[in-house]
Amino acid sequence: MIGEFIDGPLWTFALTVFVIGVIWRIASILMSGVRNDLAVPKGSAGNGAFRAIFSRFVPERTVTKRGKLQLIAGYAFHLGLFALLFFAQPHIDFFAQRITGFSWPAMPYWAFIVSAELAFAGLIFLWLYRLLNPVTRLLSDLDDHVGAILVFVVMLSGCLALAQSFEVLRLLHLLLAELLLLYFPFSKLMHAFTFVMSRGYTGATMGRKGVNA
Amino acid sequence: MINSRERINRRVGRISFTGLLVFLVLYSLPLEIIAETKGSQEMPSVMVLNPAAELWRDVRQREGSNIGISQVRGVDSGVLINANGDRWRKFRMEQLIPIGGSILVGVFILLGIFYMLRGKVPIEGGPSDRKLFRYTTYERMIHWFVASLFLFLAISGLILLFGRPVLIPLMGKEAFSVLASACKEGHNLMGPLFLVAVVLIFIRFVRRNIYQRGDLSWLLRGGGIIGTKHVPSNFFNMGEKSMFWLLILVGSLIIASGLVLVFPLFGQGREWMELAHVAHALGALLMIVVIMGHIYIGSVGMEGALEGITTGYCDLNWAKEHHDHWATEVIERGEDLSNEAVERLRRSEPPGGVKLHLQEHGK
Repeated sequence: MIGEFIDGPLWTFALTVFVIGVIWRIASILMSGVRNDLAVPKGSAGNGAFRAIFSRFVPERTVTKRGKLQLIAGYAFHLGLFALLFFAQPHIDFFAQRITGFSWPAMPYWAFIVSAELAFAGLIFLWLYRLLNPVTRLLSDLDDHVGAILVFVVMLSGCLALAQSFEVLRLLHLLLAELLLLYFPFSKLMHAFTFVMSRGYTGATMGRKGVNA
Repeated sequence: MINSRERINRRVGRISFTGLLVFLVLYSLPLEIIAETKGSQEMPSVMVLNPAAELWRDVRQREGSNIGISQVRGVDSGVLINANGDRWRKFRMEQLIPIGGSILVGVFILLGIFYMLRGKVPIEGGPSDRKLFRYTTYERMIHWFVASLFLFLAISGLILLFGRPVLIPLMGKEAFSVLASACKEGHNLMGPLFLVAVVLIFIRFVRRNIYQRGDLSWLLRGGGIIGTKHVPSNFFNMGEKSMFWLLILVGSLIIASGLVLVFPLFGQGREWMELAHVAHALGALLMIVVIMGHIYIGSVGMEGALEGITTGYCDLNWAKEHHDHWATEVIERGEDLSNEAVERLRRSEPPGGVKLHLQEHGK
């Protein structure tokens, strides 16, 4: 009964809220508009935006030097999670069956294990840093912690269900993933989409001013 | 000529005979079985030599180490019955689980009794208005990283080891099978991270954990736990140093044996796996017992012990009472700070650590 609800109506509801919520958030940002800049442009805003979106993947030297741990943990977590989400065989099967209608090649089992190890180590380190470093602790609010905990329990429940032998473990993982989908659009987890606009806006502003930043 | 009446009579006769035969066979079979069962219950058993005993003795290889030939290519594929497996299973069920469980429960009870007798060891001079910087953010991070992994691995491992006798009576077989599957997957996945954690701990803390003068006297005086006198010690006392080396050495054994169990890719056979399991379980039980003591002191056993690893700063009086050699050095360098200064620093700690704080604050 509960299983059917999690597998059926709740999944549809969570996915709908996620899709509409993300579109609504992105649309609201895009529709808020930008201040009209009357100055004569000294460079291309488009080029600046494009450059900033990609160049920011490589951190500044000072950041590399002082925030080595956050940098390594950050990349380990995000890349590991990305690989798990889109290239784990059970996820591909789920997407093909429920959303896309087609599948794509999955990563081998050893790569799955490595991705999971990287994602877990990265997330635990980042969360501990958030809790223990005085600056990040003060900057963090409930949303940051709820987001981190939700992502962690979704990942953990997925790994606990790895044997794929028990329906209850799969349903637990799905339920937690649905809670994450419901929470996602209203939280800072939206940075998964909005980082493009944020970087693009900064890059465009600087590009228009002719600043190489 | 046989007339039709006779043909019918013969046919009826054949059918009747066949039916009677079937009836008798069907009727007699259960009776035979019942009779045999009754007989076996009532009559004394007779030893019948198994004509295949020799064959099975050879198969079990109790009296020889010859391995058979098989078309299947793989480790232990020529071994049909692993006699050592039975020995390992008996050790696990009859010694490891009952004795290991008794030790864990016993240590827990002992800690409880000790707490009731001794209570929380207070800071004798009371909390001071000054603090000493003890652990950087990175050091606290790797401490809690290894701590969280250890707790997860210990709990999931204990469920796997003691679940059958302890949890099945409480939650039933079906619920336990789900829990055991989850624990097994989680344990296997988080296990390799423990290797990373132990390596990070080793690199960061090894210098401060090398034994030095004064450590032995700390040990001989029981670390001050017995009696009321304080025993001088360095940044880490003999007990902490010994726990560090136990974590590194026994932790390495647990990790190595765990990798043998999780990745059966390097040609290790069943005997190696059994050996690895025993080493893994014994090492883990030892570490759990030691960590129970560590958690006891850090939580309810001693006032001020947890502060350093949560905030990075420890109370001056606590440091004088438990790590006075180190506390004296820090005070001589003029690096003790007021509580207010620590509060300010904790709100704006830069990555450079305490030296940078002190420079910024003109000390």
